[in-house]
Amino acid sequence: MSEFKIAQREKDAVHVLELKGYLDAHTAPALEEAFQTLLKNQRFNIVVNCKDLSYISSAGLGVFMAYIEDVRKNNGDIKLSNMSPKVFNVFDLLGFPLLYEITKEEQDAVKKFHPGK
Amino acid sequence: MKLRPFLLLLFGLFLLTLKFALDVVMMNVSLGVAGVELFREGLTAGAFVLFSRALHISLPVHAPHSVRRLGILLASAALLLTLLLLLSVISAEGFETKELTLRPKDYATLFVSSLVGLLAGLFAVVNMRLLRDLVLQYRKRYTLRNFRVLVILMLVTAASTLVLRPLESSVVTSILYGLAIAVGVVNAFRLPWIVYLSKREKVLTLVFSFLLFILLTTLNVYLSQSTLFSYGVIYYSSALQKFVALSLLFSNIYFGMAFVSTLFHLPTAEAFDRKRSEMSSIHTLSKLVTQVFDFNELVETVTTMTLQVCEAQSCWLEILPLGDEGGSSGSRVGMPQEQIAGLKNITSQEIDDLHASGLRELRANVLVDRKPLVIDALADDPRMGRQRVASGKIASLVVVPLVSHVGPLGFLYATKSTEYGFTKDDVDVISTFADQATVAIENSRLIKKSIERERLVREMTLAQEMQRKLLPQSLPRHPHIDLDAVSTPAFEVGGDYYDFVELPGNRLGIIVGDVSGKGIPAAFYMSEVKGIFQSLSMQHVSPRDFMIQANTVLSGSIDKHSFVSLIYAILDVGTGRLTLARAGHCPMLYVGEWGTDYVRPDGMGLGLSEGALFADAIEDHAIQLYPGDVCLFYTDGITEAHLNGDEFGYERLLSVARQARGRTASDVKNDVLHSVDTFIDHGAPHDDLTLVVLRWVGPAPRL
Repeated sequence: MSEFKIAQREKDAVHVLELKGYLDAHTAPALEEAFQTLLKNQRFNIVVNCKDLSYISSAGLGVFMAYIEDVRKNNGDIKLSNMSPKVFNVFDLLGFPLLYEITKEEQDAVKKFHPGK
Repeated sequence: MKLRPFLLLLFGLFLLTLKFALDVVMMNVSLGVAGVELFREGLTAGAFVLFSRALHISLPVHAPHSVRRLGILLASAALLLTLLLLLSVISAEGFETKELTLRPKDYATLFVSSLVGLLAGLFAVVNMRLLRDLVLQYRKRYTLRNFRVLVILMLVTAASTLVLRPLESSVVTSILYGLAIAVGVVNAFRLPWIVYLSKREKVLTLVFSFLLFILLTTLNVYLSQSTLFSYGVIYYSSALQKFVALSLLFSNIYFGMAFVSTLFHLPTAEAFDRKRSEMSSIHTLSKLVTQVFDFNELVETVTTMTLQVCEAQSCWLEILPLGDEGGSSGSRVGMPQEQIAGLKNITSQEIDDLHASGLRELRANVLVDRKPLVIDALADDPRMGRQRVASGKIASLVVVPLVSHVGPLGFLYATKSTEYGFTKDDVDVISTFADQATVAIENSRLIKKSIERERLVREMTLAQEMQRKLLPQSLPRHPHIDLDAVSTPAFEVGGDYYDFVELPGNRLGIIVGDVSGKGIPAAFYMSEVKGIFQSLSMQHVSPRDFMIQANTVLSGSIDKHSFVSLIYAILDVGTGRLTLARAGHCPMLYVGEWGTDYVRPDGMGLGLSEGALFADAIEDHAIQLYPGDVCLFYTDGITEAHLNGDEFGYERLLSVARQARGRTASDVKNDVLHSVDTFIDHGAPHDDLTLVVLRWVGPAPRL
């Protein structure tokens, strides 16, 4: 069975989620839970590092859609980084780059939360 | 009464009357005829053989119960004694004895002699008949033989007197007599019927056999001590006298033995009764488990039988809710309330009180140990809480867990009003019932589940049928185009969609879409998309306008998690001009004369963003089709078909499409499907899969 893991860490007041493996209808609830916890803990500056994300299905994409509104209402954002070309293509086909900031490196995404520096 | 026994009886009485007449004649005239004695004995023997035959054939097919037989015998013995006492009132002269022969002094003596002989003989017949039935019950290999030997010995002993004078005794007769008694003793050991009596019946048997013993002894003594009666019977028939005496003696021995045997069986009678009722209850229950699927009926039976078998005061079952079978959830806070069922002599309020007084905590241990919990004295058990139950109704209690292979299902409770009320046997039998109840509950749950599953399967089949009807039932026909399409859901229903619409101005709309997710939720949105397409496509000239409008409509109803990707192309069937807009969907694959490539105008999925952002992103894109050009519209079920982490991908689709020129739409469709199928090694597709192939066979555009 496809496996999916989430690693979390804080970096410069930005919460980073590292996704690994397959994100589909079966594994999406794990990411959902991670977002819920972040929102509950008032963490609204979120970067999702997709370096080891090998596949994302429409159900996986749906998770981002479900929380972006709440996060932005709290002056936060979900930014995405380090996508493989294949995963980026899935995001890109759907027009996600118009809705989310997607950067090459996690560094860049984190920096965008602190425009002053 | 049937005719045959009646006739036999009548004929027997006739023989006896004949004998009586002969006796009367002999009173007056001394008949010197040799063999007249033998003739008298013959008449008597014949009469009683007929009587016993009549009794045999008039008995009911179903033998009465053993205890009843004892009652019948007791009644007839009492009747005989009473009649003898009445007869003793008659004043008779008695017999004149001369040379060991008897001769009645008057008619009264003759009358008494005849009556006593008849009564004693009849009693002997009835007595032997009833004893035969008792002895032959639960018979073994030699039982019948032994009894026959006894009867034959009795008859031979009786017959041996025929060569003697009435009061004469002989060694042969004495030896035979002794032998008959010995065989009688052997037969008297045949008492197995006592074992199978219930306690109450055993007590009755004890009383009856005691009374019979006394009564039969009295009769025996009375018949032999009273000169009138004993000589009377001997005068009547010396053979009959021997038979009657032996029969009474055998009966006496038999009931003496029965009395002693019953006495010994009495202490174990209760245990025997219990075992028997346990056996039959378990038998009934196991039968029920396989036959009855009514849950409530089963629960009722289980508690009723538990109550009966261990004579408990109250009994009930607690069934844990479904899904709580994991076992680890036993102590979870706020766990759903278990269902109390099959209450017997207890109210749910009393059960709640019991739980509140500390039973609930103890019960949790039962789940862990999976062993019965016995509380011998509820009032001062240290394990119970301080708030003891006030009512003295419950003094001892047993809790047995119902554990199936998937985990605990519930508990079976039994209580008694006495302390130390439950023996080990009780706990064992309650455990057995609990096991049966477990099987029953599991069966009924499985059946419920399978019925539910069947219902779901039926509904899904129906849904599949309905969704298939949402897709085009036929392809649009036009001499300028060659079309083919296919759509297969990964499950029964899916979120893929394709459709065609004939628009005014000789135009044809082709739409392919994919709802995020799979299964039933996707299928619902798919049908909504169909509705939107059918209603909006006619009003909008450009695919982009349609998309913007569709996004607005869909955004109002779609869940935050979900979105829809669409690709919509409008073909001018006259000129071959194709305008398309892409809302986040897989790009169209275009196979032209000069090359094959994806056509990917900008645009985002429907339901992702309302308003301006969507409208700004989406664009119309137009291309001119030339004869032989092929366009492929598809869903990601094709490009993302995968095996062992490897995806079919856009490159493979492209290379299949490069071979498309010169082939029909149907050929191209099959090529792609075949290629995907080979790629996933003929396995089941993971996602809904849709493909629409359009080939332009119309004229080249006029330049």
